[in-house]
Amino acid sequence: MSYFKFIWKSHRSFLLFSLFFISFLQFLILKLVTTIDTAAMLPQLLEQLPENIKAMLGDDVFSMATVEGAAAAGLNHPLVLIILSLAAIMIPSRHIAGEAETGTLELVLSFPVRRITLLLNLYASAVVFLLLIVFCAFCSSLLSISIFHQLTSVLFVKMLSICCNLWLLFVFVMSLTMVLSTFEKEGSRVGIRAAGVVLFFYLLHYLSSIWDAIRFTKPFNIFSYYQPSGLMNGQRSFLLHSGVLSTLILICLLVSIFQFNRRDIPG
Amino acid sequence: METPNIISVSNLSKYYGSALGVQEINFTVTQGEIFGFLGPNGAGKTSTIRMLLDLLRPSSGEIKIFGQQIYTHSQEIRKRCGYLPGSFSAYGNMSGADFLDFAASLRKTKPRLQNSLIDRFQLSQGDLAKKIKHLSLGMLQKLGIIQAFFHEPDLLILDEPTSGLDPLMQEEFYQLLREIQVKGKTIFFSSHNLPEVEKVCHRIAIIREGELVALETLEGLKKKKLKRLRFTLSHSVPDLELPGASLVVQKNLSYEFLVEGDIQTLLQRLSTLPIEDLTFPEADLEEVFMTYYRKEA
Repeated sequence: MSYFKFIWKSHRSFLLFSLFFISFLQFLILKLVTTIDTAAMLPQLLEQLPENIKAMLGDDVFSMATVEGAAAAGLNHPLVLIILSLAAIMIPSRHIAGEAETGTLELVLSFPVRRITLLLNLYASAVVFLLLIVFCAFCSSLLSISIFHQLTSVLFVKMLSICCNLWLLFVFVMSLTMVLSTFEKEGSRVGIRAAGVVLFFYLLHYLSSIWDAIRFTKPFNIFSYYQPSGLMNGQRSFLLHSGVLSTLILICLLVSIFQFNRRDIPG
Repeated sequence: METPNIISVSNLSKYYGSALGVQEINFTVTQGEIFGFLGPNGAGKTSTIRMLLDLLRPSSGEIKIFGQQIYTHSQEIRKRCGYLPGSFSAYGNMSGADFLDFAASLRKTKPRLQNSLIDRFQLSQGDLAKKIKHLSLGMLQKLGIIQAFFHEPDLLILDEPTSGLDPLMQEEFYQLLREIQVKGKTIFFSSHNLPEVEKVCHRIAIIREGELVALETLEGLKKKKLKRLRFTLSHSVPDLELPGASLVVQKNLSYEFLVEGDIQTLLQRLSTLPIEDLTFPEADLEEVFMTYYRKEA
């Protein structure tokens, strides 16, 4: 049994659930845009909201009236972000820190496996699983658009860039969890810390939209580098966002490798 | 021709922050030897074993296995080793059969002895199909033994290998060790059970509070070993003293002595006493520590 197959077997229930749930949600959101006269209803309704609330809701909600806006908002839905966060946090916290805690890592590293090989195998598995979830969401979006609206090449490219951006964001969350895992020996503690960091950035992102005093934190917030509606309407640069996230991912990966190579097992 | 050293440990120390793990340990294990590594819980046995496998990094000192530095040749060395951890733990959701398959794939080797070991330790196909989290402690230990031995390693590192095994399986395990040893394989055997180590080991190291307090052949250790004598008298004897024995406990007419050395004179003296009941259990390892090694330390 290969390491990839082993990781898949260990997490398949959750991964399959994530994959189907997110895909179904995307499909449903894009279908709903056709059934409700959102174009007439939503702007009127949102106009009534106070300015602060409008700022907090962001562009995603206001652009929900269009297919492009709905597609972007669906990929930024809190449920999607929560499920992807869980998928990204679960694998490294359970297999590095969690196995150090149970003693399984000690056994596995007594086999002739290099630590870096084990870490990279785990990393690659997690990256592929996240890609699989995002790819299915991408496909279901395209399917829904094709059935209920009209798929254009411009929309296809924009959706592709949003999905790539989403995937990079959660590869970064996974990489950050990997870093924490290499320092710790309790899986649950790593999971809680990583989830705390993600939640902190998420809340900070919204707070900084309505509170000028903390607006300066925006460039340091990971969620500033995933703005689906901004990418859809061309106000944000895919290359800039991807570049920042890729750099952060690379830094986390290097720190993980360095720390995992030097740490004591179980620690 | 001199037998080559398979394990060579020099000036090995490990500190966890300011806490001592092991300090200035030196020993060698030669090819074909069954080397017992004894000590009570927390003495530093597991730390030493983990350093032998490059799981823990020493604070100072050097470890060579098969003549190579463990830190620089870790992967090649571990290819030729089999390891059974003290508390064997594997993936709970995997079946036993899947785990053995997984272990063989990580070892990139054919598990030549797997089927014979499965038969020998009486694991049925049904047992192997069960998820590991549903296996009993004994079954789990058998699985651990199989994965450590199945590729016929040149060096076996075993940490408390018989814990959880029933007496019949323990005997089977000792027999397996003897057979492996006859083939020229080397066995590093850690335990806190003195009678068990006596059964199989040629040479013994004793570790206490992170320091090696003895490195003896089995014969040498036996000479130093203390025995315990318990008896009950039918009526009291004033100022009872026994040659070569020191009183540990007295409760009414029941006595407990620790005996060292020749017991012939002692037996002669005992034959003169009004003894109702007598037992001569072996002193456990902790007792050897508490008496003999206290004065050495």
